[in-house]
Amino acid sequence: MNSLVILNSVIDEIGSALLFFVNILKTLMRRPCSRDELFQQIWKVTMQSLVTTGLAGFFVGAIMAVQFTLQMREFGALGYLGGLATSATVREVGPLLIAFMLAGKVGAFTSAELGTMRVTEQLDAIRCLGADPLQEIILPRFLAIICASFFLLGLGLVMSIGGGILLGGLLAQVSVEEYLRHIPAIVTLSSIANGLVKCFIFAVILATVCTYKGYTTTGGAKGVGLAVVNTAVSTMVGIVVADWLTSFIADVAIRAFVGSPF
Amino acid sequence: MIQFEKVVKRFGPRTILKELTLHVPAGEILFILGTSGTGKSVLLKTLVGLLRPDEGEIWIDGQEVSKFSEIEYLGIRKKCGMVFQQPALFDSLTVFENVAFGLRRHYRLPEAEIVSRVHSSLAAVHLPDASEKMPGEISYGMQKRVSLARTLALRPQVLLFDEPTTGLDPITTASVNLLIEELSRQFSTTSIVVSHDMTCALSIADRIIMLDQGRIVEEGSPDHMKRSQVPLVKEFLAEVVT
Repeated sequence: MNSLVILNSVIDEIGSALLFFVNILKTLMRRPCSRDELFQQIWKVTMQSLVTTGLAGFFVGAIMAVQFTLQMREFGALGYLGGLATSATVREVGPLLIAFMLAGKVGAFTSAELGTMRVTEQLDAIRCLGADPLQEIILPRFLAIICASFFLLGLGLVMSIGGGILLGGLLAQVSVEEYLRHIPAIVTLSSIANGLVKCFIFAVILATVCTYKGYTTTGGAKGVGLAVVNTAVSTMVGIVVADWLTSFIADVAIRAFVGSPF
Repeated sequence: MIQFEKVVKRFGPRTILKELTLHVPAGEILFILGTSGTGKSVLLKTLVGLLRPDEGEIWIDGQEVSKFSEIEYLGIRKKCGMVFQQPALFDSLTVFENVAFGLRRHYRLPEAEIVSRVHSSLAAVHLPDASEKMPGEISYGMQKRVSLARTLALRPQVLLFDEPTTGLDPITTASVNLLIEELSRQFSTTSIVVSHDMTCALSIADRIIMLDQGRIVEEGSPDHMKRSQVPLVKEFLAEVVT
């Protein structure tokens, strides 16, 4: 009985978040937000995560290089180190890493900011002053998280190649030229498309969850704290589930429309 | 001017407003008193469409508004300005921009007119020099007055105050109460004040309503309330005496 109640509330919550997402899309179609506010938010989100994403990207590249070196040395295939490490980062680790970084920094920040606006009645005040909170407050943050995800993915990838080159050189004596040589051959259009699709889906999940949790906060300071915790948990679970789903669907789709996934 | 006809509002299994009927004529200062959780704030929020009643009708200036869409409610929110329990100022905007916010959204006014209205509204709440400050740089009492100025700038016909003196010291409380009376008389607005403060209600209100568990248990002029035999009113009056 208890687990049924929990399941019911989870389904209810997912349904409400989906309706909220549909309302954001409707608002986007009817009344787009101000361009200045959007650029301001993109700048804020990007700058908030720039250093952590760059650092994380660098070390992911380094970790990939270490892991691939250990296995590929045995096959005498170290020449492919750069290509395989970059392909894995582009297809899987990069989007996932960016999503987790953004969930930790921007997702928590956004839900706390919106939650505070809710409990201090600022969102109600906006409605009373003739504005639509979805258009003025939610939409710029929602779009900014999605746009910033792509910038940060690019940064994370560049940094991961840097990390891979450094560790590849130190650990396996692979030169920069050798590391980069097979990247164009292994990192194909389909790999990039796969990474971009995942990055977009993760960003939409993150943006929806953190704005929804913040917007529907109740119960004062404790409620804001709960909203932040729930945002972190829900986005992590949502992103992992979506990763599994998109890996499967994207592979099938890319095989059908583009060709080999590699 | 404002009529609630058998309004019912529920939150899950709890019924907050129970067939509440209330008439507020134009120009009246009405105080709604009651203990916490009796539906006072809910009453104000249903009036401006922040909450929707489950049953009943709400009439404003001859229009039944309870089924209005969010767009239709914009007109009602121009007429009925609400001052929230919290100052609800936007942290990232200056006091000037906070007060101008509603003017820029509700009306298409020339910038000179906006500047003039913002300054006159800030002067009306005795804060003529605060316009360039950020909300975080001024005291809580001043923030409450800026919030009032923001509502006044829209020149509403109805002013709704949700516990305007909660969290204020006695001196600031007295000045805010004085301001409510002064502004309501000066701009000839209809004012509905939700409060716990019987002392203030007795000195300012034209009429007082006592709400208990979603129902009106007593209503009348301040003199009538002083003579009331309703236990809850007597409890509130006892607080005034002590």
